[in-house]
Amino acid sequence: MAGITIQNLSKSYGGRHVQMAALSELNLNIADNQFITLLGPSGCGKTTTLRCIAGYVTPDTGSIHVDDRLLSSPQGVVSPEARGMGMVFQNYAVWPHKTVHENIAFGLKLRKLSAQQVRDKVEQALVLVNLKGLEARYPNELSGGQQQRVALARSLVVEPDILLLDEPLSNLDAKLREKMRSELKQLQRRTGITFIYVTHDQSEALALSDQIAVMHGGRLQQFGSPFEVYTKPSNRIVADFMGLVNFVPGRVAAIDAGQAIIEGEGGLRLQAAAPTGAAPGAPVDIAVRPENITLAAGGGTPGAGVIRERVFLGNICEYTVALPGGASLRVQTHPLQQFSEGEAVTVTVDASQCSIFPREVAQSDRAAA
Amino acid sequence: MGPATMPDAGATRRPAGLSSARPPSRLARIFSLERIVMGAAIAALFILVVFPLCFLLIGSVWSEGRFTLEYFREALTGRLYLQALLNSLMLGAWTGLFSLLLGLPLAWAVARTNVPGKGLITLTANLSYLSPPFLTAIAFVNLFGPNAGLINAFFRDMVGAPWLGFNIFSMPGLVLVTVLHTFPYVFLLASSALQSVDASYEEAAQILGASKFRTVLSITTPLVMPAILSGVLLAFVNAIALFGSQAIIGLPGRIVTLPTRIYSLFDFPAQYALASALSLLFVVITVAALYIQRAYLAKRSFVTLGGKGARPQLMDLGWAKWPLFGFCVVVFFVSIILPYATLIAVSISKSWGLNFWQGLTLEHYRFVLFDYDVTQRAIVNSLGLAIVAATIAVFLGAIIGWIDIRTQIPGRKFLDYAALVPLGLPGIVMAVALIQFWLTMPIALYGTLTILLLAYVGRYIPLGVRAANTSLRQIDPTLEESARILGASWGHTLKEITLPLMRPGLFAGWLLVFVPVIQELSASILLFSSSSMTLAVAIYNLYETGYTEPVAALAMTNMAIITVVIIIARKIGGGQIGRKENEKPGDGVPQGGTA
Ligand SMILES: Nc1ncnc2c1ncn2[C@@H]1O[C@H](COP(=O)(O)OP(=O)(O)OP(=O)(O)O)[C@@H](O)[C@H]1O
Ligand SMILES: [Mg+2]
Repeated sequence: MAGITIQNLSKSYGGRHVQMAALSELNLNIADNQFITLLGPSGCGKTTTLRCIAGYVTPDTGSIHVDDRLLSSPQGVVSPEARGMGMVFQNYAVWPHKTVHENIAFGLKLRKLSAQQVRDKVEQALVLVNLKGLEARYPNELSGGQQQRVALARSLVVEPDILLLDEPLSNLDAKLREKMRSELKQLQRRTGITFIYVTHDQSEALALSDQIAVMHGGRLQQFGSPFEVYTKPSNRIVADFMGLVNFVPGRVAAIDAGQAIIEGEGGLRLQAAAPTGAAPGAPVDIAVRPENITLAAGGGTPGAGVIRERVFLGNICEYTVALPGGASLRVQTHPLQQFSEGEAVTVTVDASQCSIFPREVAQSDRAAA
Repeated sequence: MGPATMPDAGATRRPAGLSSARPPSRLARIFSLERIVMGAAIAALFILVVFPLCFLLIGSVWSEGRFTLEYFREALTGRLYLQALLNSLMLGAWTGLFSLLLGLPLAWAVARTNVPGKGLITLTANLSYLSPPFLTAIAFVNLFGPNAGLINAFFRDMVGAPWLGFNIFSMPGLVLVTVLHTFPYVFLLASSALQSVDASYEEAAQILGASKFRTVLSITTPLVMPAILSGVLLAFVNAIALFGSQAIIGLPGRIVTLPTRIYSLFDFPAQYALASALSLLFVVITVAALYIQRAYLAKRSFVTLGGKGARPQLMDLGWAKWPLFGFCVVVFFVSIILPYATLIAVSISKSWGLNFWQGLTLEHYRFVLFDYDVTQRAIVNSLGLAIVAATIAVFLGAIIGWIDIRTQIPGRKFLDYAALVPLGLPGIVMAVALIQFWLTMPIALYGTLTILLLAYVGRYIPLGVRAANTSLRQIDPTLEESARILGASWGHTLKEITLPLMRPGLFAGWLLVFVPVIQELSASILLFSSSSMTLAVAIYNLYETGYTEPVAALAMTNMAIITVVIIIARKIGGGQIGRKENEKPGDGVPQGGTA
């Protein structure tokens, strides 16, 4: 129902002397009818982004448009109540002086619905979030997770154009969270509301989103589909944040027509698209996920290693393999493929699933020292 | 980016039923409800406080058409005035200290322990606060006056040990009478802060291995420190501004303080300019004290009442609760029983003295209620003025507090200061400032009920602002923000969310204003006319004339009226946030609706 365009958005907090950037030059193009996740570690600026979109925060630079309508710029912001959005706050913000029913009905009454409609909609919302029977309770008579669901119901029930959710499921047990996730996903599909969903749980982001925006230190690191973000991370930070990854130090051996031959520690050798600006001899990191490495019995060169540790996880087996150079790799294999600790193995890396990142100068300096 | 044109509002799809014309045009934004209300509050503050203070300032440096610092020189060097300043500071410091020593243990006992008789403690604090300080003073004079005081006379004439007596006309006597009125400031603020600290903060410390004592010291105390400090500060500033007790107890004991010194300057020939200069010294002290408090508060503002409900933790004191209970009983006796028993005894005795019980009579009540022709008019005036003034002060306070805490409007700190300054103005100074200001205006207000109302609201607006600030600080801003994003306008959010959440604080603030207003003496005594007579003035006039027993009768009538109003007000305004009024016991176990 509404697309959002965020251009060059920055916001700093702090006093006269120290300015702390909470958000730096954020650019995001969010299409209509999408489920977007803002993903990143604590303090990376997710809530600040939401608060900018909702109109609570005046940006220092940049602008926010919804469907070509300018909503926020440093010169002024359209007030939150005129934006037709909904928001679930990280701390719930359930009104302590209103019952569950009154909390949820608040937005409906503002929209001048009849008493009967209000009752029906509140009823539906309560069923959706599994809170039936608690409508007469006050928030201080609810558990944290129940309050969170009241907050969720309160913003869902008015069917806004855009729904901003700040870790809305953080306080629920795993099973309920699973259920609410799929409810939210279905709801988004059914209503076409644009969801902007904040989480620091990467599996949640992968499961829910059409697009994931990975943030770190107030900056956008990558914006893409879950598959892209997981398999083609645009930098080390993203690769590291999206699940388990091995970083193998290496260098560019040769470059030929955009393809680079990379030699990694422990005799790894693979061909991949050359990282931008890399010259032969440049230090790089090879990022490879544990499930993209295969092991074979018997040591040999190249790709020899020794099993250091074995963890049986039921559906997979996870090994730590020591490479001759001193680095170690985490490898996941089919559980029936068994090796014992101390056994020599041959390591094969699926080159197509590797990402090559230039190593930062500071790091290579430290390595050389 | 182009220039700052805000987008056209109508262009976007609105959620069903939301009024469409938002965001409004520039004009509409300037004249929005938000701006109008805030503008009106600011204007009111200027008329009530800022302009009169400016006229006070001008009056102190402007004489016979030219600028002069003569009056300030005199105020700062004259022995009489320096002595008054010193006495006021001493009185304030001792009172602040003893208010803390009395108020904090009581607050902690009520809010956080299983001490028996909590109702008694709360009652003590409330009654002490309600008691007009000059009535307490009169009562103690009847007991401890050096010659006629009943207890002194008892020790002198019956026991033969005059050295056991206590002369109330002394600094300790003045501090005693004042503290009985000011310790509730500390008590009320500290106990409500203690109650709003969620148990989870303390439990978190205890689970980490902190002892109970350690937890109190390192978790609870810092959290409630701002409230305690505010309480002590209110006690200090209020104590030095109390004119009534300083006149009744200080003057006979030759302890002249700033307010009584200023008062004496109005004897014929009135020295307005010198009085203004002295008053401004007073303002300086207040502003300095407030500045210290604010600098401290600014660094430590704690949002303790979040979106999640708070449950305070109670401490089991074991045997130690009995000494604490004993302490509470002593406070109750000295601050309530002693003065009221005395006043009642005086009011029904034919003639006060060691044998007062020999001729009891209700004659004095009949006299003050029916024969003394001003009483009935005074009751109606005082009641009406107090109700209107308290209501205005609280709503004005809520708006000013909101501007200070929730907006970025430049100059909002000035507003806050301006709204706090009257706290340190003796009423009599407020009265002079008002007279000087309104005499220059083309409206004749002198001697009307309106000028009394202006004086009362202006003088007690700080209590409204404080109450509003304290409760606003504890309301998490996201509670308001979540209403805005659902489509509620500023006014609707204020009405539906902010004010209801502030209700307990505002209600406390209302009573905090109502009570001093209905017994206001020091401003009224300069502003009243026979048609705008108030209760306190009627009592004081009677005391001045030397009618010991009728004064007591009128005082008891006054207290009866205050009590009735408060009982009614509690019925209307009581109740806690988020509690069902008729909660069924056993109904409170939180159960998830999950299958
Ligand atoms: N009102 C504020 N004043 C000062 N600094 C702030 C304010 N709000 C946020 N910050 C800072 O901005 C940065 C980003 O904060 P933000 O709340 O957006 O993080 P977040 O990604 O939501 O983190 P979390 O997952 O922990 O909620 C943080 O470093 C935070 O300290
Ligand atoms: Mg956050």
